[in-house]
This record gives sequence, C-alpha cells and structure tokens, in this order.
Amino acid sequence: MNTTTGAYGTGAAPDTAGPPTKSAVRNVQEQMAAWKNIDYTLIPIFSILIGGVTVFLIALTVGDWDYWQDWRDRRYWPLVTPFSLIIPAAIFNYFFWKRFRLPIGATAMILGYMFGVWVSRYMNFHVFANFPMNFVAPSTFIGMGILLDCTLALSRSFFVTGLVGAFLFAIVLYPLNWITMAPFHVPVEYNGYLVTVADLMGYQYIRTAIPEYVRIIEESTLRTFGEAVTPLTAFFAGFVTLLNYYLWVWIGSLLTQNRWLTRLI
Amino acid sequence: MKTIRHIRLDRWGALALALLITLAGPLYSPAAEAHGERAQQASLRMRTMHWFDTDIQPRKIAVNETIRVSGRFMPSKSWPEHIRSVEETAFLNIGVPGPAFVRVDSRVNGVAMIRSTRFHLGETYEYEVVLKGRAPGRYHVHPVISVEGAGPIIGPAFWVEVTGDQKDFQHTITTMTGETINPETYALSTILWWNALWFVIGIAWMAWWFRKLPVIMPRYIKVQDLGDDQANQLITIPDMIVSVLFVGFVMLVIAGGFFWANYKYPITAVLQTGKVEVEPLPMPPQKVEVEVNKATYRIPGRSFQVEMTVTNRGERPVQVGEFSAANIRFINAKMFDIKPQDEHDLVASSGLRVESAPIKPGETRTITIYADDALWETYRLVSLINEPDGRFAALLMFYDDQGTRYLNEIQGPMIPSFG
Repeated sequence: MNTTTGAYGTGAAPDTAGPPTKSAVRNVQEQMAAWKNIDYTLIPIFSILIGGVTVFLIALTVGDWDYWQDWRDRRYWPLVTPFSLIIPAAIFNYFFWKRFRLPIGATAMILGYMFGVWVSRYMNFHVFANFPMNFVAPSTFIGMGILLDCTLALSRSFFVTGLVGAFLFAIVLYPLNWITMAPFHVPVEYNGYLVTVADLMGYQYIRTAIPEYVRIIEESTLRTFGEAVTPLTAFFAGFVTLLNYYLWVWIGSLLTQNRWLTRLI
Repeated sequence: MKTIRHIRLDRWGALALALLITLAGPLYSPAAEAHGERAQQASLRMRTMHWFDTDIQPRKIAVNETIRVSGRFMPSKSWPEHIRSVEETAFLNIGVPGPAFVRVDSRVNGVAMIRSTRFHLGETYEYEVVLKGRAPGRYHVHPVISVEGAGPIIGPAFWVEVTGDQKDFQHTITTMTGETINPETYALSTILWWNALWFVIGIAWMAWWFRKLPVIMPRYIKVQDLGDDQANQLITIPDMIVSVLFVGFVMLVIAGGFFWANYKYPITAVLQTGKVEVEPLPMPPQKVEVEVNKATYRIPGRSFQVEMTVTNRGERPVQVGEFSAANIRFINAKMFDIKPQDEHDLVASSGLRVESAPIKPGETRTITIYADDALWETYRLVSLINEPDGRFAALLMFYDDQGTRYLNEIQGPMIPSFG
C-alpha cells in the first residue's frame, strides 16, 4: 500500500494497482484533486457562513453604533464593538487552530463579515433607505483580526493570544478607524450650536425612528480623567475583551467537539 | 373521472407556482402610505399631544426647494402617569419615509431644535420645520414629537409631492475650518480606499495560508495524526516570519492612517449631545372655563357626546367652533366651512353639533356637544372602549363673535353606550 509523501506527512493513500477497493479515489493525484475540491467548496461556504453569523451577531449587539457615523463616540462604540466581535473571533480562532492548526479564524470571520456588511449597508441603507453611503459605511475590523491571528501563530497559545492579541484587538479599533471618522468630527456651527459634521448629518438626513436622544453616546462627566476618554475606554475595552476571549475560547471548545457531528449524522 | 387529487405538479408546474408566489407579493402589495398613526392606542393618542394649526406649504416642490411644516401643539395635562412624560426628554421630529428631505432647520418657539428638549404639560408651543426636497416622490409628511421611553407621537399630515431628479440635489455644509463640503459624498473616497486596502491585507494573510492547495483535509489529517501537542510543528519558520511581518505591517498601517488623519483634520470635536430648554408660549388669561360632566360614546351612531358646564368670563359671547381629538378635527359647520385639504386630512367638516346658543359674558351654562363621524371608526378611536384606561382628552376651541380663539383642554372618563 502506498502512502502520501506530501508536506503533511503520512496520511494513507489509496492503492494505485491491485484489486478495486471501496475508496472513491484510485491514486494520490485523485486524492489531492478531491481535497482541492473540498477546499474550493468549504472555503467560500465557511466565509459566507461565519461572515453571515457575525453580521447577525453584530447587528444584534452593536447595531446602531456601527450603522451611523453620528453614533461612533469615544465611550461606548470602542467598548461594545470589540467586546461583541471577539465572540466569533474566539470561537473561529479555536476551531481553525484546533482542527487545522490554521491561525486564520478571526481574519476569515472578519473578512466574511466585512463583505456581508458592505453588501447590507449598500443595498439596505444606501439603495433602499436612501442614506448617503459615507454616513452608513461600516467600520473596518480586518486589522484587528490579523493581529489576533498573528498572535496565535507566534505564541501557539490561547492564553498569550488572549493576553496580547485580544487586548490589541480592542485597543486598535479607534486608531484603525480614525481615518474614516475624523472627517465627520470636524466642527460646524449650526443655528448657534457647536456640532460635528456627523451630528449635523444625523440631524439633516431624517431618521424618523431615531430621534436625537436615542443615541447612546458619551455624555459629560465629573469623573477624574474625564477628558482622556479615548485611551481610558481603549484600555478598559482591552481588559474586558481579553476576558471575553477566554470565555468564548472555552465555549468554542465545547461547541466544536466531534460528538455534536456524530450525534447529527 | 379525474379529480383534483390526481393532478400532480411536474417540475415546470412547480417552477411556475414558485414564480407566481414570488411575483405575487410585489405585484399585489399596495404602497405603504401611513406611519402607524392608527395603530397606537386611542386613549394614548387623545391624552398625549394635541396638535393644531398644522400646515405645510407649499405642497408641491422640485428637488432642492423647501417646504415649511408649521403648527402648534399642547402636551395634554391628562398625560398618563404610566407613560414616560414629555416633561423628561423629547425631540421634534418629522415622519417621512427615510431621508426624502433633508431637515434644514427646526424650531420650537424660535429655539433651534437640533437637540432634544422637554415640554411642559398644558402649555402651548409653536413649531416650524424647514425641509429641502431630496428624492422625488409623493410623501405623507407628519410632524412628530418623539418621547424618550414612550415613543413617537404623530401629528397631522399632508401629502407633499417632490418632482425632479435626485441627481440634481445639491447640499453643502460649511465647517468651522472654512471648508465647504458636500455631505452626500464627503470623505467617501477615503472610506472606500481605506476599506479596500484592508480587504487586500486581509486576503493577503489568508492567501499565505492557502497558497498551496489542498489545505483543509491534509492539515486536518495531520493534526489528528500528530495529536494536539505535536501539531504545532505545522506552523513553520516561514509562517512565523510572515506573522511577524504582518504584525509590523498592520501596526504601521494603523499608525500611518491615524497620523495622516490627524494631519489632514487637525481640528476635530467630539459628538455633541445634551438638551436645550425652550419656554412655552405666554398663555393668555383663561376666559372660558369648562368642566366635563359626562362623556358618552354611542357605538351604533359613532357619536361622541360630551356634557359640560361652561363659564364665560370674557367680555364677548363665545361658541364652540371645533373639537379636536387624536388629530381628528370635528368642525362646527355653523361657524366654519373647513374642508379636508387632501384625501387623508382628518377633518370632519360638519362633524360637530352644538346644541346651545353662544354663551354670554358672565354666563354659566351646561351644554352638550356631539362629535359624529365615521372617522371614529376608520381611525380606530372606538377601540377606546376596549382599552384598560377608558379616559379621553380633547381640545375644545371656543370662538367669540370677533373670531378670537380660546383653547380649553377637556378630559375625563368615557362611558360607552351600546344602544
């Protein structure tokens, strides 16, 4: 009996001669072709599936904070977003690492999410609801996913990935997106009030179901360090995100066990 | 004989059926024209906000032209205690389907309403909203007071037609840094190329791991073969070098984008929020006093009947000219000839019957008014009899012989009559 000698070692390969076997493939080439077909099939399905799951999750948990430019504040948006996004990132991190030793879970999930969310924002918010695309464009998180995956690849440890990667995942959100947010934070004087471009667009482009007070954004506070909101929020977000990472890696380890498949099949 | 049970759907039949079902929805569905004003409970529509003098001018504009939505409102003194009050947080809004218009200005008693505010019960406020046509279409435009924790309270509406082409829409904002921007496309190119760059970087990271197919099955088998402890050897030295390079590159791009944004937009502000205060209109001395004795709704006749004691403390005789409840205006046709201005203007032109002569100065008299119209039914105000708090509130408008108006809010329990 032949054995494969490829990069991945000693997986049993079918006979190339002799009596017919029960295997659907007859030689190494056919085996490799079949495995490539699995890649071609599973990779797009995985991307769409995990991206779709994440679009749904983020819509439920982050929602308006990411829908509108005038919701991306310094206090809640940088806290809620990584805290929620780390949930699928941790699960898929665990799954791809434990099953395939691939540090791609977070990036793959976020790429699928970003594709889905761009389609959603363009079709639903811009074409259908008629909001300017710049006002409803999604934030980008791809860099956060890469940092998490790279940390896993380098450390080969979920503990270190949580401590360093998940922390980085959260704290880079604001600087990563500042380039697309800063134009909307330019001040405007309007009818005697100081507002930002984002505030003004939120006022002018009518959202009947979203009156001004519905926005959950930063309000003034008497607390010490009240002016250093962004870094404080970033560090707090980093701390809670790393805790959440560990929690969802553990839940991911429960959800991705083979016994669920064997019970289904 | 062939019965219907013998008819089988072949594949073309199934396809045709699927197509029929798919197309039936869009072909059959009527346009959504209302904003749910009939859906809210009748007693709450009556006991929250009294809208009056509502007007929208002009009713037909081209893209880029403006309309003015104006009128007055009085938060009801009968505001239910279990509903969050307009005295806490409220916002003057507009009910239209999406940003068909842009809101150029909105004011209450002259105060700009870009932020939220609060209103006092029983006081009168005058509002004005200026809207600029953006998307062609025919829209039912409502003033709305949104109340935090309670929801939107929808005012009377008129149809407005916007003609032209949205491509011709022009709108600018001048920032405090002296830049004039087009909010329709502002910073869109930055958003697009920044996102495109990150897609490329993300795909590059994925491409590294999938550069040589197949990947999934061989790696899965290898991980199974090696076991969890030994499987780490699948991460090779080149993989680690690439990971280090990606970390460095990603951090560099993030920092570069951040500093470029700070360089390009050196002056920025945080999102602004907070309330503004607005004083109510000065109230004229109350010259007409009203006390409700009994209110009955006779179901078969769709007739609301209120018996009340009225005292005229003014100098001139007064008569009831209008009874307004939940945005429906019941007009005393003996005093005014007011017709609905469009097919959804809630005016019952001769819906108010007053069985009393004008009340003379200094006189106290018990009178009965009848507000009769099918609008009670069509706007689901009759559901008041099925609600857990069967109370009504309405605005009564008295007029003297010189046309001066006196506003009185009346309220009380409503008793249904089934015969």
